[in-house]
Amino acid sequence: MRPAPATVRRLIFVLMLVLWELVPRAGLLPELFLPSLSRTLGVLMHNWAEYAHALTVTLYEVVLAMLIACGAGILIGAVIGGLSRVRQLLLPVFSSLYAVPIVILYPIFTAWLGVGSQSKIAFAGVYGFFPVMLSTAAGIQSIDQNFLVAARSMGASLPQQITRVVIPASMPTVLAGLRLGGALALIGVIVSEMLTAAAGIGYLVSKYRTVLDSPRVFAAILVILVLSVLFDALARWVERRALAWQTAGRREPGLPVEETYTGTTVPA
Amino acid sequence: MQHVANLSELRAKEVHAAAIEVAELSHVYLGRDGKVPALEDISLTVGAGRFVVIVGPSGCGKTSLLMMMAGLRRPTSGTILCAGRPIDVPDPDRVGVVFQEASLFPWLTALENIEFPLSIRHAPRLERRRRAEAMLNLVGLAGFGARYPHELSGGMKQRVSIARGLVQDPPVLLMDEPFAALDEQTRMTMGHELLRIWSQTNKTVVFVTHSLTEAVYLADEVLVMSPRPGRIIDRAEVTLPRPRTYEMMATDVFGRLRERIWQKIRKVT
Repeated sequence: MRPAPATVRRLIFVLMLVLWELVPRAGLLPELFLPSLSRTLGVLMHNWAEYAHALTVTLYEVVLAMLIACGAGILIGAVIGGLSRVRQLLLPVFSSLYAVPIVILYPIFTAWLGVGSQSKIAFAGVYGFFPVMLSTAAGIQSIDQNFLVAARSMGASLPQQITRVVIPASMPTVLAGLRLGGALALIGVIVSEMLTAAAGIGYLVSKYRTVLDSPRVFAAILVILVLSVLFDALARWVERRALAWQTAGRREPGLPVEETYTGTTVPA
Repeated sequence: MQHVANLSELRAKEVHAAAIEVAELSHVYLGRDGKVPALEDISLTVGAGRFVVIVGPSGCGKTSLLMMMAGLRRPTSGTILCAGRPIDVPDPDRVGVVFQEASLFPWLTALENIEFPLSIRHAPRLERRRRAEAMLNLVGLAGFGARYPHELSGGMKQRVSIARGLVQDPPVLLMDEPFAALDEQTRMTMGHELLRIWSQTNKTVVFVTHSLTEAVYLADEVLVMSPRPGRIIDRAEVTLPRPRTYEMMATDVFGRLRERIWQKIRKVT
């Protein structure tokens, strides 16, 4: 019998942790390149106050950046997706802007807003804004018009059409955009902290790298990894909860839905 | 059979009252090369409790006409009266609509889909549930209320659509090629089921299709439309007795009617 993919994934994960511990200990890689897992965790525990403080700064920036990215992204995306005039005018511009490496704007953000949290929030907010906006626009634009006609025939007013049809119909695309935008906002905060900053986890990475203190660099990297994995798990959980209808009746792959019905006759 | 006889008596009495009256309706839309006449001088009356089928080649505007009866589109000129009053905007109290393909909302269960028109009107939750369950029973889907549309077969989805169209108990049900996407056998079964539901609810039905067999099998009266600009070029009264049976399709009466409609359509296309 083949092992389940989930089991294989967990095994690979454990194997990587074991390798992280064993490879430096066996002397295959110098500690400057890769300090062992136990050493990294030890440094993290020993300096927890410093890391905890940096983490609060980073989290504060990430939360605000995500709020900006998602709020502005959904709002502008809804306008662009809903009004074809605005879409024809702005969508090509925004689509092209998405391809620009926005990190080149970061020096301007620091010049305007300083090296504190504001410049990180603004930069990461803009960074995460584009996928949210583009997927919201796409989600609203691609709604099956038959749904809206049907709702109108049942007497739905315009506000009801928006809350009862447009929002649930565009939810899958919008949520996918939010997950991507949230991840980019997180990346934006870390990257900007590494470039120019005086606080935050990203700042710790670049600060200890310049003094070649590898265990502390890896301790910071570990914190960032955990943070991003937690965010992804949270985003997936929200998506699963909100889109439960998509997977209803598909719990057991390979089993046709009809066969689960135990009644006497199945109507046409 | 007693109740069936009573129903047809009842229906005969109600023929006097018109459920839908269309008078001198024309429609012109703006196309690429200027104005395109889509519907031309259409006048028709649908008696209360009647089952009227509109057939015609694709693009003749039969769906447009139906959407106008539903108040979803406005004709360029002419009037449409439903229960004696003009219909300018959708009014689910007077008219229920069943659409071509599954226009069911995929994020709602079958029962929630049927409840949707009631929840739009803020009907009390219990009342909503009770009426939706009754409709689900009527269309033969008791026990399937918790299923999402993607868990239902094509025929079952259209049963839910019919239940949704009937849940507000409108006197008129408009159906736009509701079984067009179904396979032949399911289509026949659904036609038969629709007649059963119709005989149990005593609604006025206007049904659009391009299947002549379906038209003759279902209808009291078949209206034949010409290609664009759509006009009504023939009215065929279907004298076959009710309840209709599959065996009637093999009779001469059925064949002659079908042939007459086909000749009309063929002549003008």
